[in-house]
Amino acid sequence: MAELMNRDEFRTALENAIQGKSANKSPFSIAWASGKLARAHLARWAENHYHYVGPFADYLAYIYGRTPDTMTEAKDFLLANMYEEEIGGDRHTDLLIRFGEACGTTRARIENPDNMSATTRGLQSWCYAVAMREDPVVAVAGLVVGLESQVPSIYRKQTPTLRDKYRFTDEEVEFFDLHIVSDEIHGERGYQIVLEHATTVELQQKCLRICEVGAQMRLLYTTALYRDYVERDLPLADLGLEREAVAA
Amino acid sequence: MPKVRFEKLGVVHEGEVRENSNLVVRAGIRQFPYPHLRYGCGMGKCSKCASRVIEGGEHLPAPNWKERKILGANLERGYRLLCQLWIHQDIALCQDSDEVWAATIKPPEESAQLP
Repeated sequence: MAELMNRDEFRTALENAIQGKSANKSPFSIAWASGKLARAHLARWAENHYHYVGPFADYLAYIYGRTPDTMTEAKDFLLANMYEEEIGGDRHTDLLIRFGEACGTTRARIENPDNMSATTRGLQSWCYAVAMREDPVVAVAGLVVGLESQVPSIYRKQTPTLRDKYRFTDEEVEFFDLHIVSDEIHGERGYQIVLEHATTVELQQKCLRICEVGAQMRLLYTTALYRDYVERDLPLADLGLEREAVAA
Repeated sequence: MPKVRFEKLGVVHEGEVRENSNLVVRAGIRQFPYPHLRYGCGMGKCSKCASRVIEGGEHLPAPNWKERKILGANLERGYRLLCQLWIHQDIALCQDSDEVWAATIKPPEESAQLP
């Protein structure tokens, strides 16, 4: 039977829960990191990614509204994350659109929800459902710790490749640069909220479970990007992967 | 753990941070050097976190494209953007007052955005 963990134990357990299904292991991420994607593939990624991360402040706003006013610091952290996503500097989605345009797509195509895949629509819907329905602390664990905190490690691997192998300019890949810093702040705020407020065995276990599910959802999303847009041009064998390993 | 000496408005604040810490990330979660460190966008654009490196600069990587773009000649005066730096060794920093920052480093577009 599970026992109540202290902060250090709980943090390690959260990190392990995310690590098990890290999106770094998806064929799309592997193809990206090895420089094998065409710009057209990256354009499709931008057209999908916009609809997953674009509403992030909306997801957080639902959580914010349901967080008790006694959790002042947690609410402040959520509000700071929302502000920084939207108006703290350049709007993050504008930088994503700039990258998409460098890949050959357009703002209109990126903003058009008809250009996202069914799986992306599923991921977006899951994010909304978690934000609206779960205990606020569990929702933060799922969306901020489970999803957003993964981003720095993914982009840290992908950003040098975008410059060195895909030959994008610094300005074109600014979306990825900023996320290494800002998502580190946002993810860390998420950890602080969860570590501070998941103070029962039941809440801790729910947080761990939703981190696992969140990481699975992100892996599902990136795997579908590969299948929907890349596989016909770049089979798994060209990435040194086997079908069974990806299915698992 | 790296020791950080952070000077602001003539007062010295000292603390230890984990290796590979970003001081803006720490301030963002209200840990030292919060509340002394001024920062803003966390994306190397607003320059609010700009600070002069007094000691330990030899351990830092070369300025990246954002620091070169935003700081320009201020790089020669020892300024760096703390949001772009991960600390691995002891370091001493000094951050100017808001007034000095506004007169010397603040980018023109930042002024235009303020109400």
